[in-house]
Amino acid sequence: MSINDELYDAIVFGERDVVIEIVREAVANDEDVSELLNVTMIPALREVGDQFSTGEVFVPEMLVSARAMQGGIDIIEPLLAKSGHQPIAKICVGTVKGDVHDIGKNLVVMMLKGSGFEVEDLGVDCLVEDFEGAVERGAEVVCLSALLSTTRDEMRSVIDHFKHRDDVRIVVGGAVITQDFADEIGADAYGADASDAVRAVRAALGLASVSS
Amino acid sequence: MTLRGSGRERVMTPRECFSAAMNHEQPDRLLIDMGKHIGSLHRGAYIKLRDYLGDETMVNENTILDRMAQTVVPDESLLQRFDIDFRWVVPHWVQVTEREDVLGYVDMWGVPYKATETVDHYVVDGAPLLHATVDTIDDFQWPDPHDPDQFKGMREQAKHLFENTDYVIGADAIKAGVLMNSLQMRGFEQFFMDLVIDKEFAEALMDRILSTLKEMWSRYMEEVGPFVQIVYLTDDLGSQTSLLISPKLFREMIKPRIKELHDHIKSLADVQLMFHTDGAVLPLIDDFLEMNVDILNPVQTSLTGMQDTFALKESFGDRLSFHGAIDVQQMLPNATTDELEQEIALRIYDLGRNGGFILAPCHNIGHDVPPENVVTLFEKARKLGQDPASLGNILERDSSYFARHG
Repeated sequence: MSINDELYDAIVFGERDVVIEIVREAVANDEDVSELLNVTMIPALREVGDQFSTGEVFVPEMLVSARAMQGGIDIIEPLLAKSGHQPIAKICVGTVKGDVHDIGKNLVVMMLKGSGFEVEDLGVDCLVEDFEGAVERGAEVVCLSALLSTTRDEMRSVIDHFKHRDDVRIVVGGAVITQDFADEIGADAYGADASDAVRAVRAALGLASVSS
Repeated sequence: MTLRGSGRERVMTPRECFSAAMNHEQPDRLLIDMGKHIGSLHRGAYIKLRDYLGDETMVNENTILDRMAQTVVPDESLLQRFDIDFRWVVPHWVQVTEREDVLGYVDMWGVPYKATETVDHYVVDGAPLLHATVDTIDDFQWPDPHDPDQFKGMREQAKHLFENTDYVIGADAIKAGVLMNSLQMRGFEQFFMDLVIDKEFAEALMDRILSTLKEMWSRYMEEVGPFVQIVYLTDDLGSQTSLLISPKLFREMIKPRIKELHDHIKSLADVQLMFHTDGAVLPLIDDFLEMNVDILNPVQTSLTGMQDTFALKESFGDRLSFHGAIDVQQMLPNATTDELEQEIALRIYDLGRNGGFILAPCHNIGHDVPPENVVTLFEKARKLGQDPASLGNILERDSSYFARHG
């Protein structure tokens, strides 16, 4: 299946109604929705993520694109589930205890969802037990976010908690986090922004990175 | 004349220094600030500092300045100990209701907050206008801009400070700005999207907030206008690495409204206008000048484009003054004494030429900041600020915090 240019552009430019119309039509025509997702929709959102990383688009445009994408996913998801399609992996994302900033975290959730992962959003001010619960429900990767330097060390506690678990990967990110700090506390990967978080999660899982 | 806390004769009072600095002339000494909202001590940091100093005159542990951030109102004795040049008068929190479901409150804009697990601060916990439409905006219970309690007693306080001290007197912010209030009332994600896909709603909401703020500032300035030299306004336009919204969208939707508020305030009182926005906002500084901003706060020096304060001063220093520049996100909690001293020297050297600079922490001093660094900050800033000749030697040392931490 080749890329659907009209659908691709509708996601990039955030035209939700157009996305829904095209996806509905594809479903009515019995097209392979899994391919539609992988060949057109995920690469389209990845392009928006790349444009965000390079400063070509900003938070509002990215949110509007993610919303458009979600319009299509809402239609596709039940069909994928019925056909036994599996997400790439289950992920949980939360802002660590004491930190309540969630715009960046929400963007990470959207990018991961739009990249084929099943994501549990744990919200803000999360305790170690919240992450533990998500892992019990099947999360393979725990993504931690922090914006305040006062809460950075809380990441250390979460990492220490999962130290004995070889089957749990930790990815960290957020304004006050650097690659150096991620290395120091023993995180499996570090994401510099919402788009880079997808690369970091894939790297933590040992998956090849995907170029756009 | 001798001022308390200095022990030496001064040629210029703090207020005269401020006047010179704002005219981009070199004042006798560096202006230093601490204690306004977004720029005070977190309660945890305050307690550590009090215990470290063993200062029994510090009794404001439970006198909260900003409930969300859990900062305290610094004691007069502490402001004198640190030789702070500013005294801020602060609008009262009004029309706040306590929540019954969780430990928290609803502010005058109808935005609910709840305490974090450790009650270190409060977080936004819902968006009252998430489902509103253009037609229902006016049905909302808007804050009463004529609430007599909001500025009660402030005229007397400002007048007293004006007549009996030489400090620079500031009117602290009415929380919050046009964009931040819109984001909180509507929900961050929805309002960001409104700016692109529902401009009619976005404009209607911002206009309603703007008109409320203008009425409040009219009353505020009636009370304190004749006595204050500086007013403080806050919004947030930047993230850690870039802008929250594109310059184009900012200029189209946000800038005209913030400018209207600024012009309104400047028409009410002869004041310098200080505008707070966190983040990497370098691409918008010319816009700030067009928005009647006199002083930019906080110059977040750990961020892209904001580290090079020499270049910032070169580019804008003849038209814009700077307030802040002491990073609290990375540097102040972690710097050694030498690194802190060099950082202070660097910012004074870069930004202090020909006035136009007020040194202050970029944000609230968090509970992760060692009390030793709080004391060092204000003592060294005062010492170096009176002795520009000493800056060269310090800057030649190899002890830059940001160089060590990339």
